[in-house]
Amino acid sequence: METPASKLVVRNLRKAFRSQRSEESVQVFEDISLEVHPSEFISLVGPSGCGKTTFLRILDGLISHDDGEILLDGKTVIKPGPDKGFVFQDSSLLPWRTVMDNVILGLELQGVDTREARRKAGGYISLVGLAGFENHYPHELSGGMQQRVNLARALIVDPQVLLMDEPFASLDAQTREIMQAELLKMWNQTRKTVIFVTHQIEEAIFLSDRVVVFSARPATIREIVKVSIPRPRSLSVKRTKEFLDLADRVWSIIQDEVLKSMGREREEGMR
Amino acid sequence: MKTVAKAEPRVPAWARSSRMIAIYSVVVGIGIWQLAYEGLARTPYFEAYAIQHFLASPLQVIETFGELYRSGELFRHSYFSLLEFAYGFVLSVVVGIPVGFLMATQKKINTCLDPWVSCIYATPRVALAPIIIVWFGLGIFPNALIVFLGAVFPILLNTYTGIKSVRQNLIELVRAFGGSPLQVFFKVMIPDATPAIIAGLRLAVGRAVIGVVVAEWFGAEAGLGYMVYFYSQLFQPGPVFVGIVVLVVFGILSFIALDKVQGWISPWYAYQVRREVHGMEME
Repeated sequence: METPASKLVVRNLRKAFRSQRSEESVQVFEDISLEVHPSEFISLVGPSGCGKTTFLRILDGLISHDDGEILLDGKTVIKPGPDKGFVFQDSSLLPWRTVMDNVILGLELQGVDTREARRKAGGYISLVGLAGFENHYPHELSGGMQQRVNLARALIVDPQVLLMDEPFASLDAQTREIMQAELLKMWNQTRKTVIFVTHQIEEAIFLSDRVVVFSARPATIREIVKVSIPRPRSLSVKRTKEFLDLADRVWSIIQDEVLKSMGREREEGMR
Repeated sequence: MKTVAKAEPRVPAWARSSRMIAIYSVVVGIGIWQLAYEGLARTPYFEAYAIQHFLASPLQVIETFGELYRSGELFRHSYFSLLEFAYGFVLSVVVGIPVGFLMATQKKINTCLDPWVSCIYATPRVALAPIIIVWFGLGIFPNALIVFLGAVFPILLNTYTGIKSVRQNLIELVRAFGGSPLQVFFKVMIPDATPAIIAGLRLAVGRAVIGVVVAEWFGAEAGLGYMVYFYSQLFQPGPVFVGIVVLVVFGILSFIALDKVQGWISPWYAYQVRREVHGMEME
């Protein structure tokens, strides 16, 4: 049995998608196993299209898997629920709701009294730095602020694990750096277990305790890179030799995989 | 309530003045009409062609309005038309929204109903009015049925489109937080489809007013459409224009009422709806 030290355990996960055109099924994941410790910050990187986002959705229970098991705190994950907080790539805020009412969505869906939920939300809105914007509508906010709401909405349900799907991908470079630093600050305060999908290697290294590198499809875990840069980290660690060496290493693994997948695509194209 | 006030756009100086321009435009237009009528009345043609049987001046229309109002005739006609409108419109909403929703969400129901909807929608409904009168006779209910046939389709089709174009990422969001199908329906689908449905209601108001008039031309004993038709046969333009003006004012008031409902239900959409509706009314 898994050690009690593991928050999230993925064992021998397999998943295939049936392609509509050829009636053949496409293997997305081949035998993925991963153990995540409590309060650990894990990033998933890999070549584009390798299924990082699909993996995250399976962890949440939004998509089913074919084989293997997922255990959160020793319990099998079957469907989405308040024990998991999902942060979407596009902020997916309900445009007809204010910041406050977007943040309380998760509690509301659980049937928590609205007044009580709002009281609780104040703290989380401050945590993500949006105090004073409670009554603004999403279209009145910048992209960075929308992602802060997105984050607060996931945190308020007090999830056991936070699943983040490229949450900063659509932000400009400056905002992105600021959000990375702020995310680490919030993580320091809340100590949630985080699974963070990104295609930016330096973002993954900066945030994480471990960086999980996926192979090209059908995806397996190619390598898990441990990041032992001491915390708290400031943005300046991105220029240290240790950091750059790690980035090089992760990049060379991904490069291998990208070349491999390009080779296979060419083969498939010739067939 | 505070949020509603906030979302209401503050009218900047230029918009205020352009609203004034609109008002001036109407006032000047009516003034030209009045002057042209009086000019015409001084020419020999007025007598020769019996213009007074074809045209009324704005002042005469106001005067006739007063007469019809005092005699109670205007009230009787308006009441009759309003009932037809109300029955027909409510029936359109009660049928159009649920059927549109079912067609958008249940593939089999859609396959089954789509040919019928397309056929009846393509039929000029004016052509159906005489046969409905033949079947059901004169009265409020057959007329309401004609109103219904005109008004139900914009509501049905807009509900269908509205539900079909609900953003998938928002549905997934509610699911990701453990929302039930019922919660997805009430917290995402309904609010996200509301602007399209309201736009359909606005279109339906116009169609319903046309339905009232058409129905009353083919068979009625009272109503504003009946009044317009009746007095035109008597070559009395005054009451004809009164009927038309009342119908116009009724249509405009309905639009304003729907805007209010919209602002009340989802203040955020005020702009978007106005844009969509103007796009659709071009047809």
